[in-house]
Amino acid sequence: METQDVVQKPARTEPAKSTLPQPGRPVPSRAYPGALIVVEGTDGSGKSTQLYLLKRWLEIGGYRLHFTEWNSSPLVKSATRRGKQRRLLTPTTFSLLHAADFADRCERQIMPLLQGDYLVLADRYIYTAFARDTARGCSPRWLRNLYRFAPVPDITFYFRAPLDVAVNRILSGRPKLKYYEAGMDLGMSYDRAESFRLFQARILEQYDKMVETDNFVVLDGTIPVNKLQKQMRDIVASKIDLKRFAPRAEAAE
Amino acid sequence: MPDQEKEKPAPAAVATETPAAPAPPKPASAPEDAGQQYFFGEPLVGFDPSEITGSLIVIEGMDGSGRSTQITLLQEWLESEGFAVQTSGLRRSNLVGRDIDELLAKNAVTRLTLALMYATDFFDQMEHRILPALRSGTVVLADRYIFTLIGRGVVRGINRDYMSGLYAMALRPHLTFWLNVRPETAFGREFRKAQAISYWEAGRDMSLSHDLYWSFIRYQTMIKREFEVIAKKHNFIELDGEASVSAVNKQLRQRIAEQLGIRSTKYTPSSALSHLWR
Repeated sequence: METQDVVQKPARTEPAKSTLPQPGRPVPSRAYPGALIVVEGTDGSGKSTQLYLLKRWLEIGGYRLHFTEWNSSPLVKSATRRGKQRRLLTPTTFSLLHAADFADRCERQIMPLLQGDYLVLADRYIYTAFARDTARGCSPRWLRNLYRFAPVPDITFYFRAPLDVAVNRILSGRPKLKYYEAGMDLGMSYDRAESFRLFQARILEQYDKMVETDNFVVLDGTIPVNKLQKQMRDIVASKIDLKRFAPRAEAAE
Repeated sequence: MPDQEKEKPAPAAVATETPAAPAPPKPASAPEDAGQQYFFGEPLVGFDPSEITGSLIVIEGMDGSGRSTQITLLQEWLESEGFAVQTSGLRRSNLVGRDIDELLAKNAVTRLTLALMYATDFFDQMEHRILPALRSGTVVLADRYIFTLIGRGVVRGINRDYMSGLYAMALRPHLTFWLNVRPETAFGREFRKAQAISYWEAGRDMSLSHDLYWSFIRYQTMIKREFEVIAKKHNFIELDGEASVSAVNKQLRQRIAEQLGIRSTKYTPSSALSHLWR
């Protein structure tokens, strides 16, 4: 029963030709033995907490995994920081800089690990760029092309929380919103909290549009943390053959 | 080879050939039209191309083709004719220019990340340098443009559609010159400049040859072939980069004078630049 939906990947063999990301060609999840699990959602939707708990569960179980976060490549960090501090970024350069960051992580971590038969967990993925940058006015067609090299996730969890819930979670926990985080560059409002709310509403709208087109698994971000985590773990276990990622000795038995 | 004279200074209607629709030269009503007329594919966010009053003139060509020399001379000539001039070039953005320099020096960067950093650098200059200048009626002389960046990506195996899609919001230049030289000539000129050939100029990241000379020749030949494809598609004005500086400059001045409506193309470099006049 549990294994019905398990993705059957071919046995691990040496790839005949390079399966490194071919920029401009989407990478199907059958091109490598590993598996990619992604969480998406607006700020305050609870996605990071849930992914952390999923990671702990898998870590404690001894599975081979790697965790990667949006906007974290050391190579691009100084440029992003400078651009944000000096407010040099436009929608286009904001988008490109994040794409460069993602490309670096993709080429140096995500793809090699997927090929090395790892479970890769990503806190935010290309859909964050699609939602955010479209909300900033970038062309969706251009954005889809920009990220064409990204491997398609095995599961994309979309944590959906009503706008007010998500916005209040962020506003109550943070002393001051940052300029770009609040979408101040869009000039929608002089009030940061108000600008943030308007920006998040646009992003939420974009995420909702991708549920169908990008096969999101929608989870309700308002239910208790432990219940939500149970749902998430059940879905992971049903869709991914976790045994593959168990410690090698056990997998052999 | 003299320039391939093409009577199409505004390469607008190339991509959208809908035979049924009557094609007036300046529709500019629907945003898609603006995307094709002024840009290579998509309009740039938050920018109205009808505000452009200046001219964008691009000089393309491999390392050692004489681009920088010609741009220095053209700037002096145009300023003497009373035109305000702005220049742009690769890795000159405030946003990431220095970061790319560092990435290149460390040489720990993959091709795609580098391509995207160059795209960031390009659009930062487009939005903060080129477009503001063009809005104020300035002549922008671009020392290389998207064609070099696309070519470099393509020879490294990045999909051509991907690369051109990346630059869909680049502004179409009013004139694009291609200084075409043989890689062998370019090698000699580049070597004389620094008594060395750099890692990236020689395309060493592509493992073409352990011999620096052959690596340079093979790499630049690949880029040149890519340019031959692009040149036809985008109405490049091809000039013989093997010719003397003054001969190439004369051809450039004639074509630019035509574009800007300058009557006389007479020019002798000032004493400060006379050393370039070979």
